[in-house]
Amino acid sequence: MSTDRTEQNGNGTGSDAGTGSDAAVYVYGIVPSDVEPEDHARGVGEPPAEISVVRSGRVAALVSEIPLDRPLGTPDDLTAHAELLDGTVTVAPVLPLRFGAVLTDRDAVASELLEGHEEELVSALEQLDGLAQFVVKGRYVERTILQEILDENTDAAQLREQIRGQSEDATREARMALGEIINATIESKRAEDTRRTVEALESFDPMVNERPPTHEQDAVHIAVLMKLDEQDRLEDALRELAQEWENRVDLNLLGPMAAYDFITKSDPGEGG
Amino acid sequence: MTIQPAGGGGGGGGGGGMARPNSSGLADVIDTILDKGLVIDAFVRVSLVGIELLTIDARVVVASVDTYLRFAEAVNRLEISDNEPKGLPDLVGDITSGGARHKTKGAIEAAGEKVSEFLGEVQQQREAAPRSRRRED
Repeated sequence: MSTDRTEQNGNGTGSDAGTGSDAAVYVYGIVPSDVEPEDHARGVGEPPAEISVVRSGRVAALVSEIPLDRPLGTPDDLTAHAELLDGTVTVAPVLPLRFGAVLTDRDAVASELLEGHEEELVSALEQLDGLAQFVVKGRYVERTILQEILDENTDAAQLREQIRGQSEDATREARMALGEIINATIESKRAEDTRRTVEALESFDPMVNERPPTHEQDAVHIAVLMKLDEQDRLEDALRELAQEWENRVDLNLLGPMAAYDFITKSDPGEGG
Repeated sequence: MTIQPAGGGGGGGGGGGMARPNSSGLADVIDTILDKGLVIDAFVRVSLVGIELLTIDARVVVASVDTYLRFAEAVNRLEISDNEPKGLPDLVGDITSGGARHKTKGAIEAAGEKVSEFLGEVQQQREAAPRSRRRED
């Protein structure tokens, strides 16, 4: 956890990050103005920069200073961005910005990002209050899923006989056909198992974002937005599903994290 | 601004061509923060600073000839191992993977990953690039 929520309000824009022309301000996310970064909170950069806040009215931005002469996007940078926001979501609502948002200076953060959009930002933060995002990822256990497909699909089973012990060159067409069947079958199993997972989480009344698979053996990959304090019950529900799928799907839960998958602004420039 | 699913149709998560191999968890971070979240351009234009971002190839899972051939070979191997007599090799295999699993778990917990795991198995979240064939066997 990297930020504290305090009762203190509207401090102005602070003075600890005067920026020259060779530096700029990296913005992580937007929070209610009573959020205070912990002393040890660190962000992107090498060495990692200290996190501060820029406040304006009822909203604030989590920021840090960065030099402009260094490209962003090392694994440490990416992790720092995510950890700050994911730590924050456990204590306060946060609107996460996509990685890589940089403005010229702190004044620009206050005047351009926060001031003109206060109502809109406050409204979004209110909607997120008490909620957090979780990601559910499942990966098929290869042996199990291949055997399942061979058992269910006679074409696949026949093709398997054809390639048995034969060289790849001699059986290329049969292998292509077999691989295509397997791939297509996994796709339909993925759709079904994703549906099953969403169904298992129905009682949380979550918002669900189906993510595209990141691997050809993905069984399920969804983000859900739900009550943060129901995390224990979520783990129970998924553990139950994981038991049902034992040795067939390796199921993982990530989170709580900021609501990256659920924040959209439709029209650029359209103020609040 | 609305709070609603952003939709999965963005063309897949990022990942892949990083300067160093993904450690467990990093791939998930990449999937999440590079193409999701609020885009600042929607709010701010004047003061936007373009900073160089290290190239990260978008990774889209597209079924390819490679994928098909890999699946076929996996089936071929499946059969071979099915015909092997069970015995010492299996036992050794179990012990080895059990030990490794523990180590993996320890390392991940030490790294402070917020990954809840089920069934006592930590999935090595090694997100292979499309052409990578590295898998655990």
